[in-house]
Amino acid sequence: MSHKNFSVINTPVHNIDGIAKVTGRATYAFDVTLPGMLYGKILRSPHPHAKIINIDTSKALEFPGVRAVVTGKDTLGIKQGIWRRYEELCDEQILPLEKVRYIGEPVAAVAAVTEEIAEMALDLIDVEYEVLPAVYEPMEAIKKEAPTIHEGVERNINVTRHIEWGDVDDAFEDADYIREDWFKCSGQHHMCMETRGAVSSFTPEGKLTVYTGTQSAYYHQGLLAGVLGLREGDVRIIAPYTGGGFGGKFELDAAQFCSAVLSMKLNKPVKIVFTREEDFIASKRRTPMFYYVRTGIKKDGTFCARESRMFSNGGAYTGMGATALYLTGFFHSFPYKWRGYRYDGYRVYTNTMPSTSMRGFGAPQAMFCSEQQIDWICADMGLDPFEVRRKNGHTEGYEVPGQAFIASCGLEQCINEIEKWVKDKGKLPANRGIGISSCGFMSGGIFNWFDSPYSFSSAVITINVDGTVELHVGCQDIGQGSNTTMAIIAAETLGVKMEDIKVHSGDTDHCPADLGAWGSRQTLMTGNAVKMACEDAKKQLLEFAYAEMGINIVYDLDIKDRWVHIVARPERGMKYEELVKKALRGKDGQRIVGRGYYTPHRKGMISPAYSYMMQAVDAEIDPETGKITVHEVMTAHDCGQPINTLGLIGQLEGAASMALGYAYLEDMPFEDGKMMNPNLVDYKIIKAPEMPHTPIIEIDTYEPEGPYGAKEAGEGLTNPTAAALGNAVFNALGIKMKELPITPERIRKALKEKKEEEAKK
Amino acid sequence: MINDFHYLKPASLKEALAMYAQYDDCKVICGGQSLLIVMRQGMLAPEYLLDIKHVKELRYIKFDDKDGLRIGATTTHREIEKSAVIARKYPVLVAMEGKLASIQTRNWGTIGGNIAHADPAGDPGPVLIALKAEIKFGNADGEKTAPLDEFFVDYFETKMEHGDLVLEIHVPAPDAKFGCAYQKFNLLGSDMGIVAAAASVALNADGTCKEARIVLGNAGPTPLRVTKAEDLLKGKKLDDKLFAEAGQIASEESQPVADIHASEEHRRHVLGVLTKRMLKKAFEQAQKAA
Repeated sequence: MSHKNFSVINTPVHNIDGIAKVTGRATYAFDVTLPGMLYGKILRSPHPHAKIINIDTSKALEFPGVRAVVTGKDTLGIKQGIWRRYEELCDEQILPLEKVRYIGEPVAAVAAVTEEIAEMALDLIDVEYEVLPAVYEPMEAIKKEAPTIHEGVERNINVTRHIEWGDVDDAFEDADYIREDWFKCSGQHHMCMETRGAVSSFTPEGKLTVYTGTQSAYYHQGLLAGVLGLREGDVRIIAPYTGGGFGGKFELDAAQFCSAVLSMKLNKPVKIVFTREEDFIASKRRTPMFYYVRTGIKKDGTFCARESRMFSNGGAYTGMGATALYLTGFFHSFPYKWRGYRYDGYRVYTNTMPSTSMRGFGAPQAMFCSEQQIDWICADMGLDPFEVRRKNGHTEGYEVPGQAFIASCGLEQCINEIEKWVKDKGKLPANRGIGISSCGFMSGGIFNWFDSPYSFSSAVITINVDGTVELHVGCQDIGQGSNTTMAIIAAETLGVKMEDIKVHSGDTDHCPADLGAWGSRQTLMTGNAVKMACEDAKKQLLEFAYAEMGINIVYDLDIKDRWVHIVARPERGMKYEELVKKALRGKDGQRIVGRGYYTPHRKGMISPAYSYMMQAVDAEIDPETGKITVHEVMTAHDCGQPINTLGLIGQLEGAASMALGYAYLEDMPFEDGKMMNPNLVDYKIIKAPEMPHTPIIEIDTYEPEGPYGAKEAGEGLTNPTAAALGNAVFNALGIKMKELPITPERIRKALKEKKEEEAKK
Repeated sequence: MINDFHYLKPASLKEALAMYAQYDDCKVICGGQSLLIVMRQGMLAPEYLLDIKHVKELRYIKFDDKDGLRIGATTTHREIEKSAVIARKYPVLVAMEGKLASIQTRNWGTIGGNIAHADPAGDPGPVLIALKAEIKFGNADGEKTAPLDEFFVDYFETKMEHGDLVLEIHVPAPDAKFGCAYQKFNLLGSDMGIVAAAASVALNADGTCKEARIVLGNAGPTPLRVTKAEDLLKGKKLDDKLFAEAGQIASEESQPVADIHASEEHRRHVLGVLTKRMLKKAFEQAQKAA
């Protein structure tokens, strides 16, 4: 709040790549065509669990137009995973040698002169399987008699996570009331507009270039190098544009791996693009979770303790699931102060497509359980849900014991704003209810399971003689607008205009390493690196300005809107362009280069900063059919200092759409391990007519660790919505929704149970 | 993948019928909203596609107070939705079209194509049957007319034989005291109904029910008339109790099939609710009608 006199920050800025996108000039991996390029297709397992006895590729190889067929035998057989530091969590061979563990798992790949030929050739590959017994649900897979999915993994427990602070049992002793509930949270498909795809080109010089959609070019560089036996520096990832990620595009995928293996075999470029169905059945999903929640509270509404157990459907492999297991347990405590807190999470392997990170990273599931149970407790005890949340909510300066330090927190203002909004609505018609949910979220993870030796984020800026600026960053723009955010921070810091900044990202040969777009990290982490790089360059410029202007050293100089001036006397100064020319001459013709980096230190276990929010969902339910109509989704939101007010709205609307889909529409039903709706007719996402009005109130806070006080926005708002809708249904009809999605049939079932209960009384 | 096919583009109805008679492995396309989906899924791989989009003779909306409404087969959904005369005389058709898929689909998809496709979940079928519509279809040798409720035979099957094209939908002029309503139950407004119900009510001068029609969508192999419930209402003074009873009958008479979107029980239940509500709505319209 010390520096509110912004030129670019806190204004509505259109995405710098917007025109290229809407005019069709933006090239995605799908658009890339290289000379001599071949087309690849992947043969997938029809069995949820089977031994591979033999793969006969001879007939496919004889098919006219086919150039190569690869199986696990053509690979190094390395088990890979994104948790590189932990060998036991690197459990996935993308072309497996011994067995398949889910329907849709790749077993072979073909390269041919056309995509059609490649697809036809798949039918000519003869795979002999020995079908094994399979298990699909975590509560079944954890039983002693369940089939073993990974050799040596007892009871199919992939990872466990324990979080505890305070004397939990003692705190429960103090409680006047204890409530316990079981919840079932569903999976969700990432539903990127761009399906997974890659064009790999390996050349006889021993270098591999891969064009692909990615959330982290650096991760994919490292993962591909590791699994192909190449040096990281010999792998170049180019991701000019990525059509959505949502947590699903930073693990190595089969399009990238198979196209690379085929290209290395042929020394020719190979393109593989998933169909929508392939994306649905074999690109991982939000982690389905079973939650047991026990909460103790005092009569006056003070929270005492919480104890939770969570069993997640991990699917066939680990992927990012291990992180989701930790984060769901941590955010399940959010945003409240607990004297005692205990969480035990079990990630269980099953013979279904692997589950992984997805926007919200385990928190939407955690909040669905926590925030509904809090409302039920309030109803049981006659307490006010706003008051209870206010009483127990995080505040500035609070330390989550052993986990996190809260340096900025606008939760109380969020609660106040939403309380006012709800009260202003007055009495609602029958069958209509407003539900609330508060939550918080991280601004980038502190974890380094990838074992990166590099800074978490880096930036390099180069100032040309005409004052234009080349900004090189490794952060990944996946549609969320991070390139625009970085350009804004650069323009503001350097004191130039938006049009002076060219952002270079998405190319590992030319951009510094950065962990990429996940866990809402880029605005804070890459933003800090960009700010530091620009301050570095600006300092060099101002050194020349002092000399040129010959002013007393007690005066401060600054640059704003291309005007280099004395802060105390803004009218005295010189043009930025002139200064740059002179500075270059003074540096013997070298361009001005600024460097910046960011790695969090001493910021707890999770994240350097946390956003806070409260949301209210106004919904109407037809009690006869169970159909839900969402009228409005109101949010009060603390993301520190907004950088791009237009981008912020886009992010929050997108989150509301995705979270509402999770709340009452999106579902991935399986039968015997097979996904039943892998298409856009049967998989329901919110469309424009269903999208309600989603107003937002921004709460003014300042996060000391963020660039210009900024923190997370856009991912965290996926967290409260399912819970808020559940609470709206509770307030409208008095029924408790313990399973996602909240479907008409589940509403009718709950109504029936409520009637039966009332009849008993 | 869609298999390769020969594309036929007749300029007139006569040419279209002649071409259709000539080629055995031939499917008619008039927008492709339904056909291309099944072709893409590999369920159909015809050698010839006969595109009647440009057969102008079949694209019309005509209304006459005595004769009623005539809609040519290649008239688009959007043209029906935007027709002033239909809005005035058959508002239920406009309301139904307004919720049929998306605007893009309505701009290109046609009423004839929809009816010929004979998807029991299609929206126009139940509404048109409730309005007592007839259908005219024919081939190079001649034309036939049938009440629309007798036209549908089974899932995606009609009375038409190879060489037949849908030519026209005819909706008779409504009774003086008449109402008709339609609603589908779905999660997304642009989806086909998980189930749907159309109901029409014509009243006698004394306010008793002259005739009622109840037609269910996606509740069996074809749009399903619930004659047992229709008979219950005939000649009676209608009230909520009767509507509920009719709904109960509709629920029992329906033959819905469960899938991932809803169980059989839920479908039956909702069919009952929709029938009850649509009858009430149609009845109230009929009462208000001059």
